[in-house]
Amino acid sequence: MRTVAIDPPGIQWLRVSPKYVTVRLVEWAIGNLVMVGLFSLPLLFVELGWWRWPPLWLAVAVPAALLLLALWRLVLIPRQVKAIGYAERDDDLLIRRGIFFQRTMVVPYGRMQYVDVAVGPVERLLGLCTLKLHTASTGTNAHLPGLPAAEGARLREQLSARGEARLAGL
Amino acid sequence: MTQEQTVVDGDWHRVHPASPFVRGWVALAAIVYFFGRDTFERALQGRGTIGDNFNERTLWLLAGGGVVLLLALGSFLLSWYFTRYQLAEGYVRVNTGFLFKQQRQARLDRVQAIDIVQPLLARIFGLAELKFEVADAGHSAVRLSYLRLAQAKQLRATILGRAAGIADGSETVEVPEAPEQVVLYLPPGRLVGSLILSEQSFFIVLSAIASVLLSVLTESRAFILYLIPAILGLGTAYWRSFNTGYNFTAAISPDGIRLRYGLLDTRAQTVPPGRIQALKVTQPPLWRILGWYRIHVNVAGYGEHRRSEGEHRTMLLPVGRKPEVMMMLSLVLPDPGTADPERVFTAGLTGLDSDAGFVTTPRRAWILSPLGWRRNGFLSTETALLLRSGRLWRRLVVVPHQRTQSIALHQGPLARLFGVADLVLHTTPGPVAPRLIQAATEEAVGVFDQQAARARKARRLQSSEQWLAQLAPTALPAPPSTHAIQHASTQEEPDHG
Repeated sequence: MRTVAIDPPGIQWLRVSPKYVTVRLVEWAIGNLVMVGLFSLPLLFVELGWWRWPPLWLAVAVPAALLLLALWRLVLIPRQVKAIGYAERDDDLLIRRGIFFQRTMVVPYGRMQYVDVAVGPVERLLGLCTLKLHTASTGTNAHLPGLPAAEGARLREQLSARGEARLAGL
Repeated sequence: MTQEQTVVDGDWHRVHPASPFVRGWVALAAIVYFFGRDTFERALQGRGTIGDNFNERTLWLLAGGGVVLLLALGSFLLSWYFTRYQLAEGYVRVNTGFLFKQQRQARLDRVQAIDIVQPLLARIFGLAELKFEVADAGHSAVRLSYLRLAQAKQLRATILGRAAGIADGSETVEVPEAPEQVVLYLPPGRLVGSLILSEQSFFIVLSAIASVLLSVLTESRAFILYLIPAILGLGTAYWRSFNTGYNFTAAISPDGIRLRYGLLDTRAQTVPPGRIQALKVTQPPLWRILGWYRIHVNVAGYGEHRRSEGEHRTMLLPVGRKPEVMMMLSLVLPDPGTADPERVFTAGLTGLDSDAGFVTTPRRAWILSPLGWRRNGFLSTETALLLRSGRLWRRLVVVPHQRTQSIALHQGPLARLFGVADLVLHTTPGPVAPRLIQAATEEAVGVFDQQAARARKARRLQSSEQWLAQLAPTALPAPPSTHAIQHASTQEEPDHG
């Protein structure tokens, strides 16, 4: 499904760093493997004969379903990362993400109140950062993950400068 | 401090000395009650405070009570002494605290709204709290409690005058209070009617029927008992709505829309022109019988208070008929940006399909909202975006173009299947969450693109935060005329382009 139906026409999207896949993989591993491991415990106990309540089929089915779900998410990660894009226009910044649940957001420079750059431990290892934009609205949940540190810094400076120039009150 | 002193000379001032007592009277009353109860009871029984069975306990109680009372009074005095405020150089500064000092300052030209609040006790003493929301002060309002009412009003006029740009910050001129013209008064009868026909009444009737049925079916009366706490809770909810909605008056003045309401505690809100970020007109099903509507607004700062206080502060019109709704809309949006606003807004309030040019959910997606698809729609005028939805709970959201913060398009798999998408406009926190639901994808993308351009253009035209700065200063103290609405709209013109 390569549809980009909800993007405005004629936008040259810049993609985030492919290394961001690794960050997502680490997050995925921490989240899902722990989950699958926990839900596999009953299976272990039943096999060992300590527990008798969950029937074997149930003890197998639950972790199997979770594992399938986790694998499905794993398969999606590279494409989700590829789906993240941003574009600087003259007066605003466009951000898009999502394959199934697509979101495209436009944040005018004049509306930005401040710009954050956040770096997590894995991101630091890979030299990446996450850019967060804040406006007067809490609904503006605009973050742009997986930017190379240099690009993040450039973007932050650029956005701050442009925001300063076009700053409007509420 | 003498009361007739002027408050705009750039010096530091203290609030009224009675303030801590008005604020902390509950604590004082509790102390007196706790320690003095014994003595009072004796006195009431006519046994005399120091009776025949005078004992140490009474003495200790009285002495302890005295000490605690003195401590409380002392802390009140200290808190009063260390609370000071200043109005100078375009800022309001408020200092509080003697152990942990706090200085809060707010830029005058970022004032979003000013309230004068009078709780019952303060009202008895002729005192008032001045509270203002500022866009750049984070999420805490600046409040001054308490001042004399006249002083609070004068301070409000000065702050609004300076915020509007008619008085220079360096000057120490007192700004006369802007003349106002009452445009709407809500009779108590209609307020009661609106409460009776509100959603909560609907659910009360429903649950009453259910409980009667249940008690008949099970032949027990216990269900009635379960209803008692519910009735008490609802009673307080009704009372609160009545108490705050009583005497609702809307007036206009050059420094904004003024709302006044309250039975026991009164509140006077002033929202300067162009500070309303978004607006929502709703009509619950039962109100349709009498053709009533209510209006909520988003004002920066109001949304932060999630409590019941905020709920009432965001109410621009608790209940009103269509002409009143139209009038309020004309106040908020002096330039509707369309040739026939009456027709457009009527279509927005009650219309279906494409009357007046609304674009609705395409027929192919009717299954996604079988009732609402003919109503879900949008219309963009020169100055604002109108979003309409809800067949039973009718709803019209109006967002001025230059108030849009950021815009997003959402599309899930199901929506993609039917070729529709949602458009979400982000605005400051508040009761209004503008969202265009299930518009045809091409339309939604079109609005998304155009809206960004329109917002950009509208913002460019809005040159100053000081909404009267471009006008000659002499234009302000114009006498209130019968054409007050037009008067106000011409004053706001520079703000809206």
